[in-house]
Amino acid sequence: MRILWVLLAVTGYAATVQAAGDTSQIERGQYLARAADCAACHTAKGGTPYAGSHPLATPFGTVYGTNITPDDEYGIGKYSADDFYHVLTQGELPDGTQLYPAMPYTDYHAITRADSDAMYAYFMSLKPVHVQGKQTDLAWPFSMRWTLNAWNLMFAPGDDVGDTDTDSADSDVTANNRGRYLVDTLGHCGACHTPRNMAGAVKDDQHLQGAVIGSYLAPNLNADSMAARGWDRDSLRTFLKTGMSAQGSMYSEMYPVFHHSTRYLTDADLDAMTRYLMGKNPPPAVPVKTATGEHDGEGRQLYFNSCAGCHGADGQGVPHVATAMLGNTALRLDSPRNLVKVIHDGIQAREFGAFERVQAMPGFADALNDGEIATLATWLRRQWGGQNDAVTAADVDELTADE
Amino acid sequence: MSKPHSIPSRSLNVTINGNKQPVEDVPDELMMLDYLHEYRNLTGTRFGCGIGLCRACTVIVDHADGTSEEVRTCITGAHFFEGKSIRTVEGHAERDESGEVTQLSEVQQQFLNHFSFQCSYCAPGFVNAATVLVERLKREPIERDQLERTISAALEDHLCRCTGYVRYYRGVRDAVLATPGTIKSGKSQEA
Repeated sequence: MRILWVLLAVTGYAATVQAAGDTSQIERGQYLARAADCAACHTAKGGTPYAGSHPLATPFGTVYGTNITPDDEYGIGKYSADDFYHVLTQGELPDGTQLYPAMPYTDYHAITRADSDAMYAYFMSLKPVHVQGKQTDLAWPFSMRWTLNAWNLMFAPGDDVGDTDTDSADSDVTANNRGRYLVDTLGHCGACHTPRNMAGAVKDDQHLQGAVIGSYLAPNLNADSMAARGWDRDSLRTFLKTGMSAQGSMYSEMYPVFHHSTRYLTDADLDAMTRYLMGKNPPPAVPVKTATGEHDGEGRQLYFNSCAGCHGADGQGVPHVATAMLGNTALRLDSPRNLVKVIHDGIQAREFGAFERVQAMPGFADALNDGEIATLATWLRRQWGGQNDAVTAADVDELTADE
Repeated sequence: MSKPHSIPSRSLNVTINGNKQPVEDVPDELMMLDYLHEYRNLTGTRFGCGIGLCRACTVIVDHADGTSEEVRTCITGAHFFEGKSIRTVEGHAERDESGEVTQLSEVQQQFLNHFSFQCSYCAPGFVNAATVLVERLKREPIERDQLERTISAALEDHLCRCTGYVRYYRGVRDAVLATPGTIKSGKSQEA
């Protein structure tokens, strides 16, 4: 009798899987869901994967990621594959409710039907979580979701979504198109790295040219700008795969992207992304210009007082402890924003895989005043970042004003 | 003590355990731990991990407003302490004129009572952290039922590789309870 029950259970399970998709489709769907970083918004910190409630701060209010497990009441259990594809690519629920464009359907618009079906199969294979996620409740006028129809008319992409041919006879064209699909469509990198207009829509003419997200800068990802900060395809691939490279380690909003998404991508896909971002023949990475004759300043002394213990007397860093300052991308950016913010706020300890982690960096908001942070940041940028413009106390005050 | 002239140095003025130290040139790059060991012969502060993680190197910085805080000396430059007043593990007990210890601090005594020290390598950090906590609670008393979690929050960053945490914990708890004014509702003497 027991055997019969087991048999029934097994065949019943198999039937469920069959209905939702075969194993390889589900695995592909999981990979795509990771590439699309669904967890970034649909998994709360420390919460059940994809059960929603992650807060996303926008200039219009806080939008919460929803429960996208296959629960019939609170999740997407009643969605058909058609419904899923429509929500994913059009931002409209089966009942006609328009989603806020915090859901990057404007980017996901170009997701192929086959990929959507694979992601659908994956999400339907998850255990349903019978929990209602936190509800988005924006203040008027943004509470009027019908106005989003007008927003979509103005800002959502049309049906022309570019060349998504990832099976060209020319392997380089294939890689470039695959890279664009991973960067612009699935990865929706532009959601953070492209500036937005007053209506919260990305400015297409400034594609991936960098934007302030939260209070940190999501840097310019255009090839010339990347190369000017010392990036090449190898270092970018390493950065995405491992969360760190000679240019620094991921922190702030990018660390969860590594944690949920980029670390899972195949080498071929990472290569395609770097091909798309940096081009077939990338501009040569510019070596950092280090300063000379700056050895008696107060900035240097502040560095030895508070930083050198971990980051090294020569800015070389300590493996597994603290990233190198020499050539660090935060020092090489034109804007001192990220450097100042990190000095002020610190960074929590981060794990980058089984055997790699970086210790917590304390914030120095209490130990250093605005003038001292400005002096320190100026010295760091000149010493190891090739940036000569001075950072002022007023800059520090402005950049850290929200705290 | 003569110093090599090729190393950029500047004068350092610091007060340690209530005593103004002789002002002398100290290399710009010197970490505070090395200054304590090599210039002041105060070797009680320990070099542990060298990356600011274990906190065996913790000293107390006393601020003019009467508050105090822990600072890690293995990752903090000596000149960070310019003009500051600090306490090291050598500065807690009372001593007679010859320098012999005559009376341990409450924290030290409670740690001995509970056999908290095993290899003792982490002891300086724990003594300083517990002292900072007791002094903070004297300024800002807490409810008795908040004590356990307050101790955990205050000391959780300190590592003891002998895993003597339970005994340290009991020592800190009894030191707090034996110190008048740390617990609201007049229940601070129940130890």
